[in-house]
This record gives sequence, structure tokens and C-alpha cells, in this order.
Amino acid sequence: MTIHKGRGFACINYPIGMNLGGDPAQALVHSTPDGKFMVALSAIDLGQGMKSVTRQIAAETIGVPVEDVYVDTADSDTGPHDMGSFASRGTHRVGNAVIRASAEARKQMMEAAAEELEVNAADLDTDGKGNIHVKGAPSRSITVAETAIAAQFKQGRTLAGRGIFLIPPSEANPETGEQTPVTCFAHAALVVEVEVDDETGDVEVTAINSAYEVGRALNPKLVEQQLIGGAWMGVSHALYETTEPYYPARDHGPEDFNTYLMPGPGQIVPHHIAVLERPAEDAPFGGKGPGEMCANPVLPAVANAVYNAVGVRCDRLPITPEKVLRGIRANGGARPKGRA
Amino acid sequence: MPKTPLTFTLNDGEVAVFVDPGASLIDVLRRGVGDLTPKQGCAQGTCGACTVLIDGKPHLSCLTLAETVEGRRIDTTAGLAGGPNLHPLQKAFMEGFSAQCGFCTSGMLMASKALLDRTPNPTRDEVIEAISGNLCRCTGYEPIVDAILSAAQQGGAR
Amino acid sequence: MLSVETYPTLAEASQAMTDRSRFLAGGTLVMRAVNYGDQGFDRIVRARQVDRDIRTESGGLRIGAGATMADVLASRDAALLHVVAARIGGPAVRNMATVGGNLFAPNPYGEFTTALLALDAQVVGVNGQTTPIESFLSGRAHHRGLIAAVTVPRVSEGDFRFLKATRIKPKGVAIMTIAATLTRGDTRLAFGNMGPTPLRAKSAERALNNATLDERGIAQALEVCTQDLQPADDPLASSWYRREVAPVHLKRLLLNGGRR
Repeated sequence: MTIHKGRGFACINYPIGMNLGGDPAQALVHSTPDGKFMVALSAIDLGQGMKSVTRQIAAETIGVPVEDVYVDTADSDTGPHDMGSFASRGTHRVGNAVIRASAEARKQMMEAAAEELEVNAADLDTDGKGNIHVKGAPSRSITVAETAIAAQFKQGRTLAGRGIFLIPPSEANPETGEQTPVTCFAHAALVVEVEVDDETGDVEVTAINSAYEVGRALNPKLVEQQLIGGAWMGVSHALYETTEPYYPARDHGPEDFNTYLMPGPGQIVPHHIAVLERPAEDAPFGGKGPGEMCANPVLPAVANAVYNAVGVRCDRLPITPEKVLRGIRANGGARPKGRA
Repeated sequence: MPKTPLTFTLNDGEVAVFVDPGASLIDVLRRGVGDLTPKQGCAQGTCGACTVLIDGKPHLSCLTLAETVEGRRIDTTAGLAGGPNLHPLQKAFMEGFSAQCGFCTSGMLMASKALLDRTPNPTRDEVIEAISGNLCRCTGYEPIVDAILSAAQQGGAR
Repeated sequence: MLSVETYPTLAEASQAMTDRSRFLAGGTLVMRAVNYGDQGFDRIVRARQVDRDIRTESGGLRIGAGATMADVLASRDAALLHVVAARIGGPAVRNMATVGGNLFAPNPYGEFTTALLALDAQVVGVNGQTTPIESFLSGRAHHRGLIAAVTVPRVSEGDFRFLKATRIKPKGVAIMTIAATLTRGDTRLAFGNMGPTPLRAKSAERALNNATLDERGIAQALEVCTQDLQPADDPLASSWYRREVAPVHLKRLLLNGGRR
């Protein structure tokens, strides 16, 4: 019996969002009477950090503390339209809509403050701490809260903004088929190390090293969290998860989480991540977001690592011990493909 | 169908309810009492999201027949914080980015509280064993294990 | 519509059992069925009296059927079985799942019962009648009446081996479980999840009876270890895979105590 070490590489260029139908995202922003701002979205935060990132984007754009911004998501009955949380589009599409809505709300806020301070709105700036002041004369200022009160109880004005981000449809050139399917791409490269047991076919991932280019990391801790959790899911897809273990036969489908397998906490893999920040031109503050590619490149990298370790090329997922063992038998034994 | 009267202690408060025959503890907690902190993930005992403490020990509330807890003490995540002060485990989970969708968090907190109450300074392997019945789909487990160890270092057994 | 009937004693509960009732101990099997609307029963029967006692008697160890896996782990008398109970479920399941319930646990569960089979345990009914576990298992599908306890003959700790092959760590269900009592001349080797119930690999037992535990000594046992087993396909592994790796796991159990 031998444990064979293997190493596999994969890289990915991943499109952000879709082109079809313009991929619209909308945001509505308004201030409450006490000068807090509410961002209404129908985009969904299912744990990836949409609320945190759009909150940061709105605060930065309006020029108020992040604590003074609230994000309300995911009621398509009452919120503005959004295509949804998929296609790695959240940060980019929704963030852009939030910037536009926030910019309009900021403009109104500055106009209301200008009326109170009896100056030109173009001469005003925010300090990001809840105050609006005359440029070069910080003592001539008004708080955002006072501005909101004045706007809503004296001036009869709302501090609100509407934003939509829509991709211009790109028709395919009938001659060449050429079109622009997406507006920007994120990129990653990843190396996975495995150990393969040549008597049982068991594969254990032992390390992941990755480099992700996600534009600006708007919230570095959230990016790291996405990349670590996403890689776990990639390992899970590569080696464990299936609803049809005997595909194309439909027999013996798992009926619970004991038989629908996913790696457990005893299988935590050291994952070293390098985040490369290259702000994208059309992205909100340059942030494209990690999205689905957190998981995707892990799968081919694991498949390549298994091949490197024992010479078995699995092209059906998941790469189960049975497939590996059958491959080893078919090859007449483990055939390591070089130094791991 | 006649209901059964049931009394038990829930996070220092006394609870008296009538339960349907065959009702699980999680049904009684969520629908009968209104404590929504235990989550029903699978109702099969395979995910751990419904973990509560019964007399200090972790149990799956989806597989606990409600009437078997007569006179016993139930602890749920709703009772972890003391007023505005989060439990050290809750604080460590928050600071460690240990939740994404949050569905497993309540069960993770109760499973790890059960560990720290008995083993204030656990090893990493003991932490892993303590949460081994709790599935997490988002984090890859590492931030959760780290948070529990960090809470332990800060006197998490409260 | 479901009803729950609670009786003072196990004997009374046993009397109340019918084809349409299930006895609830720890709840891990029965409540799961309730939650998913199992129409095979409409009465849950329980007893207030629960025997969780674990004690050493003249013939060996007696474990009350109501003892949980956590009770086994807390019992010094049951030290031999700690390695088994520790590999069942996570902590919450171990606080609930009982030894009595495990006797009826379908695949891929039933690791404790696999160990009991290798240990030549006796199953004690409510009326005090004892049945060798092997006969109990072969008639399990048609079993009537409640279980009061199991008794486990004394075995020297060094002779008992246990292995649970899982893909998920630390808690995963078994591809297969192997338990062995390597008493010279009286080897008992049981496999779990390698047939409809835990089964003995009797051909391998004979080959091991007087064998030396080294590569050569166990070769014959590995060769024949699946002869008496009936592994099936399930979501975890195919019957083919189970037959292929059974000798590998058995070898590791015999030579390295289960480590690869």
C-alpha cells in the first residue's frame, strides 16, 4: 500500500454577470427624518456579504458613516427590480446601481444643505462623519441629520435617489459570431495538493494555494471568507457531492446529509490565498467580487492532482474512491506522473 | 386528538404549553413558544441546526419528542446573550466572520457552548469533534473552529 | 393520527406493542420517521422506567437497553466499547441514541451492534429471555417484544479491534464497519453495512483462528473475508467497491489497529 502525493493546477477567467436582457439591477435610496439612509434592493444576501458591501458603497458615495446606512434586501413584491444573486453579478451589478442611486441622494442632500447654509451646493463637501461643510471653511457646517430634518420638515424635499445598472445588449455579428457577452472578467489560479491511497482509492486534499484577481477587494475579510468557504465547496463538489451516485442510473440517491457527502470539520485544508487587486474600470470602486469562481477552479485542479498522483484521469464528478480504484486497476497499478 | 400539558425551563424562564401527540421539541420551541433560534434543517438528525442543550447536554431538538422534556432545562441561543452583552462565543463568531448564511450558527453556538461548559480549554481536535454533528455549507468550518478556540481563550465558558 | 402512550414500566410498554406501534427510546430513529410522515405506525409507545445502567456482572458486562452512547463513554466498566461509541454520530446523537435502538438501526448505521456481534453478546428481552445476538439479528426483521439489556462476555481488551471506514471526518457514516475479537482459537469477525444486518465473516474467522497476525498469517483470511458477506449498493459505495476494499480495511485492522 502506498499513499501517493499529487499536485494539480487550474486557472479560470470568469465572467461577471450576464449580457442577456441587459442584466438589470436597481436600487432605491432615501433618507429617514433623522438623517440615516435606507438602501432598498431586491438583490439577495444569502451569506456572501451583499448587504455589507452595498452598505459600504452607499456610505462612501453619499459621504456618510457606514453606521448610518441600512440595507433592506430581497422582497421582490416591494423592492425595485433585480435579476437576482447569481452569475457572480452581485457586487458589480448591484454595486453600480447603488452608486447611481446614492449619487442622486447625495446631490439632493447637498442642495438641501446649501439652502440651509445659503451657499452654492457646488461649494459644499462631506466629511464622512455626518457633517456637511463649506469647502475650505470647516466651521461653516451643518450635520446630515439637521439637513434631513430641514429638507423634510421645512423645504418639502426628499433626500432620495434612484439607480439602475443596465448592460447595453450586444448582438452577435451574423458574419463572425462576435459579440461582447460580459462587461468584465475576474481571474484566478489555483494549486491543489492531494494524497491518494492506492488500495482504497481514497483522495484527501492536503493543501490549496490560490491567487484571485477580484478587482478591488471592497471588504477584504468578506473576500477571504468567500474564497475559503468557496474552495471547501469546490473540494466537496470535486470529491463528494452527488444526487445520482450511479448516474445515469437514478438508483440509490442520497436521502439525507449522512449519505449526501460533504467534507467535515476534520478535513479542513490549509488554504493560502493571494488576493490581487486590480480595480476594474466599470466596477463599483473597482470591485468585481469573488462570486462563483471561489469554487469552480478547485474541481479541475483536484482532477489534475489525482492524475498527477496515481495516473488516473477522472472526467466524471465526483471523483469517488471507486472511480479512482477502478482507474488504478485498469492501469495495472498506480502510475504517478512525476514529482509532486 | 387530546393535547398533552408540558412544562419545562427555557433559558431561565418557565414555560407551560400544550403539545400535539408526536410533536418534536423544535416544533414546540418555534411554534408553541416562539423561540425561533433553533433552526430546522433536515428533520432527520443529520445537520445539527436544531441543536439545543437539555440539562446542559447537546441534543437534536428535531428528534426529541417534546413530552420527554417535562421538568427539564432547555437552553437555546436565545438565552446566550446577557442583555446587550453577547456571549463570548457569539462575540468570537461575529469577530471571526464565522457565519455567512447563518443557518448553522445557532446549532454551532449551542454545540460549542456544551463543549466549553465542560472543557474550558479544548484542543483543536476536541473543538472539531464537538461540532462534528453540525453541518456548515458556507464557511469551510475553519472560521468556526478558530472562533470557538478564540472564545475559549477569552474565558468562553460563562 | 399519531398517539403517544407512556407506560410506567418496560414490561407494560412491551404488552402494549402492536404491529402499528413503535417503541421510542432515544428518538433518533422513531422521530425521524415521525417527521417524515411514516405511515407504517400510528402509536408511539414509551416507558417512564428507562434502564441506563451499565455494570459488570459475573459473566461480563450488562448494558441496559436505554443506555446512550454517551452513557457507554462515561462508564469505566464499558471501557472496551469506548472506541465504538465514540465513532457513532456527533455529540448530540451520542446523548440520544441508545444501545437498544442500535440493535434495530438499519444500514448504514448499527456500528455498536456490529461490535456486539463480534463480542458474542446476548440480547435480553423484557421477560428475561436471552438470545444470542447472531440469532437475534437473523430474525430481526420479524422481531417482537422489547429489549431490556444486552450482556457482553468478558474479553481481554487487547483482543478486541474496531474499525469504521468513513469518507467524512471526524463524523461520517460507515462504508463498512469491522469488529473483531481475536481470542486464539475463537476468533469472531463481524462486518457492518456489508449485508442486510451485521454479519460474521466465518470463513475468515476460521482462517484467523490460529494465525499469526502478520502479512503472511492473515493472507488467507483476507482472501476469503467477503465470502460470507452480502454487500449492497448504496449512496456511499457500490457492492463491488465494498468487496474490493474489505480485505484492505481488514488488513489494516489486524496489522495496524485500523490505521492506514
